[in-house]
Amino acid sequence: MAGNARMFSEHWYRVSDQRVALRAGVRTRRQVYRGEVWRVLYDPFGNQFFRLRPAAYEFVSRLSPKRTVEEVWKECLEIMPDEAPGQSEVIQLLAQLYLSNLLQLDLPPDAQQFFERYRKRKSKERKSYISYIMFARFPLFDPDDLLNVLKPYGKAIYSKIGMLVWLGVIFSAIKVALDNADALVDQSQGILAPGNLFLLYGSLVFIKALHEFGHGLACKRYGGEVHTMGIMLMIFTPIPYVDATSSWAFRKRSQRMLVGAGGMIFELFVAAIATFVWASTGPGVLNAVMYNMMFIASVSTLLFNGNPLLRYDGYYLLSDMLDIPNLYQRSQQQLRYLAEGKILGRPNVKPASPYRGEQITLAVYGVLSGLYRIIVFGGIILFVSRRFLLAGIVMATICVVSWIIMPTVKYVHYLFTDPALERNRFRAIGISLAAAICVVALVGIVPFPSSFTAPGTIVSTPFVEVPARASGYLKGLETPANIAVQPGTTVVSLLDPEWDFEYRAEEAMLRHTDALYRRSLHRDTADLSIIEEHRAVMQQRLHRLRERRDNLQVRVPAGGQWLPGALEDLDGIWVDRGSVLGYVLNPERHQFVAVISQDEARWLFDEAGIRRARIRLRGSAQAPLEATGWRVIPAEQRELPSPALGWYGGGELAVAEDAREGTEAAQTFFEMRVDFDQNEDLSVLHGRTGRMRIRIAPESIWTQASRRIRQLMRRER
Amino acid sequence: MDVPSAEYHRLTVRRPKQLPKGLDALAQSLTGSVDRHSGRTKRLWAQVDEIQKEAEGLENLSDRHLRERLQEHHDAFRRSRGDVPERVPQALALIQEAAFRTIGLRPYPVQLLGALAMHEGCLAEMATGEGKTLTAALTAVLAGWSHQPCHVLTVNDYLAKRDANNFKPLYRFCGLEADCVTADLEPQHRRRAYGAHITYTTSKELLADFLRDRLQLQRVSDPQRRLIRHILRPTLAARESLVLRGLHAAIVDEADSILIDEAVTPLIIAQPRANPMLVEACEAARHVAGKLESGRDYTVDLRYREIKLTDAGKERIETLANDLPPVWRGPGRSQELVEQAISARELFLKGRQYVVQDEKVMIVDEFTGRIMPNRSWSEGLHQAIEAKEGLPVTEPNETVARMSFQRFFRLFPKICGMTGTAWEARNPFWRIYSLPVVRVPTHKPCIREVMRESVFATSEEKWTAVAASVNEIHQQGRPVLIGTRSVEASEKLAVRLEALGLHFNLLNAVRHEEEARIVAEAGLAAKITIATNMAGRGTDIKLSREVADAGGLHVIATERHESRRIDRQLFGRAARQGDPGSAQSFVCLEDELFRRFVPETVRNSLAGVSGGIARKPFLTALNAAQRAAERHAFRGLRSVLATDTWLDESLSFAQDIGGA
Repeated sequence: MAGNARMFSEHWYRVSDQRVALRAGVRTRRQVYRGEVWRVLYDPFGNQFFRLRPAAYEFVSRLSPKRTVEEVWKECLEIMPDEAPGQSEVIQLLAQLYLSNLLQLDLPPDAQQFFERYRKRKSKERKSYISYIMFARFPLFDPDDLLNVLKPYGKAIYSKIGMLVWLGVIFSAIKVALDNADALVDQSQGILAPGNLFLLYGSLVFIKALHEFGHGLACKRYGGEVHTMGIMLMIFTPIPYVDATSSWAFRKRSQRMLVGAGGMIFELFVAAIATFVWASTGPGVLNAVMYNMMFIASVSTLLFNGNPLLRYDGYYLLSDMLDIPNLYQRSQQQLRYLAEGKILGRPNVKPASPYRGEQITLAVYGVLSGLYRIIVFGGIILFVSRRFLLAGIVMATICVVSWIIMPTVKYVHYLFTDPALERNRFRAIGISLAAAICVVALVGIVPFPSSFTAPGTIVSTPFVEVPARASGYLKGLETPANIAVQPGTTVVSLLDPEWDFEYRAEEAMLRHTDALYRRSLHRDTADLSIIEEHRAVMQQRLHRLRERRDNLQVRVPAGGQWLPGALEDLDGIWVDRGSVLGYVLNPERHQFVAVISQDEARWLFDEAGIRRARIRLRGSAQAPLEATGWRVIPAEQRELPSPALGWYGGGELAVAEDAREGTEAAQTFFEMRVDFDQNEDLSVLHGRTGRMRIRIAPESIWTQASRRIRQLMRRER
Repeated sequence: MDVPSAEYHRLTVRRPKQLPKGLDALAQSLTGSVDRHSGRTKRLWAQVDEIQKEAEGLENLSDRHLRERLQEHHDAFRRSRGDVPERVPQALALIQEAAFRTIGLRPYPVQLLGALAMHEGCLAEMATGEGKTLTAALTAVLAGWSHQPCHVLTVNDYLAKRDANNFKPLYRFCGLEADCVTADLEPQHRRRAYGAHITYTTSKELLADFLRDRLQLQRVSDPQRRLIRHILRPTLAARESLVLRGLHAAIVDEADSILIDEAVTPLIIAQPRANPMLVEACEAARHVAGKLESGRDYTVDLRYREIKLTDAGKERIETLANDLPPVWRGPGRSQELVEQAISARELFLKGRQYVVQDEKVMIVDEFTGRIMPNRSWSEGLHQAIEAKEGLPVTEPNETVARMSFQRFFRLFPKICGMTGTAWEARNPFWRIYSLPVVRVPTHKPCIREVMRESVFATSEEKWTAVAASVNEIHQQGRPVLIGTRSVEASEKLAVRLEALGLHFNLLNAVRHEEEARIVAEAGLAAKITIATNMAGRGTDIKLSREVADAGGLHVIATERHESRRIDRQLFGRAARQGDPGSAQSFVCLEDELFRRFVPETVRNSLAGVSGGIARKPFLTALNAAQRAAERHAFRGLRSVLATDTWLDESLSFAQDIGGA
């Protein structure tokens, strides 16, 4: 990469007679990158770093107030004719060193200029504050003394033994966690419950503070200095941070990596301890706090800190590991090079690296980190908008503006006005236009498979309800569940203590009437007919009472498989006449009744609309059932086929608040009855719930997305 | 030593604002267009009416009274540093009367309008022959009264001397001293000339003096610090002789040529310094370049005036690199060096870009055809060309100071100007110099007859047609002025005209006085004059009675220029001040504008239908090419400025003398 810059510069006269040198306090460290010896200039007062390639360092190291820049440059040319920087490169180099405050000048200090520069820097800082408000940093105190006190511990921790202990603890914690995997998963449901949020945040701050000390101690351990600790806003959430940049000057790669990993080392250790405590305590505050810590440490390590695709600790680790400093910037540069140089055909763009392997690494990293970023932010937006629609909309708008609209505007501006494209403007515009057309076509025109899902429940066809024909206390099941029954088989018996009294009273009345009748035969034959009528009524009553007694023995009206409702534990409860005690099912045929919301209804009545449907039952999602035929009931419904689908039953459909059974849906829906292929391995039982994915006619991505968004809005209303 | 305040003004240089970027730039160009539509001209016309009302009865005033009243305004202007807008109409009325009494010219209302516009800090667009020099003088009086430095910048030394002498009586009558600075003036005289209230000079002289002054300051440019230094070490102060009085107001004549066309050309103060390394390298590079062939080893890009090495060429250079001095053997360096040698061979042609006189390479200004004796190309190019011509390679000049006109004029707190053609460049004027353009109508309506543009496929056809057209007009006894784009083109035409047996004047690389005379003579009956587009700017072509009756001067443009302004300037030479006249332009597909700014495919398809050439698409393409060229130039201005600004910021330790 030497000597590509121009040998002569027309601006050379500005620096040629200057006498400059590196400032006295500037330290130099060797670092080896890809076999080349680079030097890092480090200014401990300003905490400034500057990385120099070997030839540039040769030049810079020769600078002295006793000689002019020109003299030094000529000397360099003599020593290494081919490697020495050209004039324009020297100018660049000096300018950068000067802007990093690493140069000592022979200029009489010009106070006015100092102030001017100070003012400029301040206003730049203020500006960057505003633009990085989401990630603003507020330095609070200097932890150096504190860390010095802790240094011996740091030494112990970052030693071979310390690391072995660490590994042991981590592995045993993983084992404990695996042993308790189901509890672990269960508890995760409540992690964002409002009641837990405060605890969660508290744990977050605690664990992140330790994380930062991890960095700080590692930095101290190898002789670095740590002078700033403070609070950083991450998406408006205050979190501690520490400035361990002095590690950048560490000579050994492994040391730099250890400082980068220090945070995670601490964090995971804490999480491991928390795992032990969590596993050995019962539900309670302590248990919840420990769980939160485990959760934060593992999630943040996996998704953020440890992940090299975002610019946190993992990124610096990877950067050191690959031996590519400024990985992100250079990957962007490489992508830019590919886009500008290879696609748009702009001349004179240079790849980010002279090595082919590194170029590929950079490009791959650039693409992956870009995708990951989109996925993470997309996920966050979706997650937030499910809970707080407004916040979600705001975030999505910001993202659309800053990721789509602004770059597009900038790109178009670049395309039409950038002087560098002057010669290839036609080609660049052509290619961009073609690409834009492709994207528009892909998003707006080309149909993609489209589908929607609907909840539903399995229903046996036909199925017959078994109602109680009389009221009474539940006495017990006469026939166990899932037994094939003939019509008339008694399945449940009820007990009605009132009946005995009533029956006996009626019998007594009948006997009384009989007695009256017999007496009338002797004396009053005129009354006889009335008494006879009376007696007939009595007998009829008795007959009805007997019928009622019979009905206390609940019999099935039709043959089939007997499926009682949930009665086992309810012995002795009162059952009203007419309430359903169970069902008689047809074990031969089941249908899936899907509840289809109004939003999707238009597909149901379109002949070519539905292409295919597939049912996944809850708990058996891995074995889908293919639908073979379907029928839509062409009237809006309100009564859910099963209470299990409504909110009260743990389902996802909103139900009317005043409905006690929880089967009256808040919104009307359409019912779709679906036949499906039976699957031998799957127990298809009446009442099992599931989801049906209905494949509809292919639609463009744009249509699909806008439909989804409309639905999201409507749901919220 | 001066009083501290004078010293302060002498040394303080305004720090120009940075060019806005992005949305700010959009906002700025919006304010520019709002400003243009804000009815400035209407308001100025109202003021002109006011001036004329004030002027009534002034002719009866005695000289003494007139002087007294002028003096009264003079004092008011001085006290308020020129900021007394309410006095301007009355003052101009008095100056107008003074002008009539001293130099016999009474400004027309349009000239008053121009003066008002310039006094407001605008750029007045006034057609040639509308009396721009008088307009400038009116403005200069107002500016001079403030006693702050006022520089009137003309195109050349001759005009500076002429104008300064012509208007001296007027200035004296108004209580002001005027002087001029020309190239041959000694430093001590310069100091005196710059000391006058109003100084006529050329922009080059002014900038050079500014740079030389700054070099003397030796980096201590802060007035307070200098004061202390001088008190402590009086000998230092005595050794210095700064000539300028500071930068305040500039009235720029032919503003478009200086502020736009030549804006990025830096003025360089240089001294030769031995650089054997470079000299040796140039010789060796010429040798290597001689072994490379166009097409195989490199391609020539005419539009960007660039050489591109092919892969084969790069390999060849690598094998030949051992012939080069060791410093240049690396692939990057050797390619750079050889590329330069090739471009010296391919892009810089003898007779076009330079001539050889007395064993020296002299740069020729492509537009005026003028030889520029003290100029040289930078960064070894000059040496490469010398090597190519087999001349002794001179030591390269070492720059000690340089500054572009663009940056220089942005240092003036008050700048105004006038030119015949500004409207097309209103955007750059506004964006770079914050100069609004005011169009001043002509005094008498213009009756120029612009004939249909003639289009041709090949330059052969074009030149034949031009010669025929010249002959035809010549037969009618009318004078013809033919504008060419380059010296080469004018020679081509000369050959053809000679073949037709016509006598003509060829304006080419001569001294200013003579140039002006030839241009002035171009109005004589049946005279044929060939001149490059820019030659003789600012000189009137006067017509005799007999010529006017025959139909006036006919102007032929033989090519379109990169900027519409320059085409218009040429046409503007015919039919000035209400005279009759006509103009016609001849263009062809092989013109340079086409070659540079129209893609080859378009050119080919135009040529395809060019049996009789389809006028419409042809002209559409031509106009598009011209616009593209203008945009290209504007971008050039901006990017040079951006580079300068970056250098200023990041090299402020190696402070350039332009910075404050």
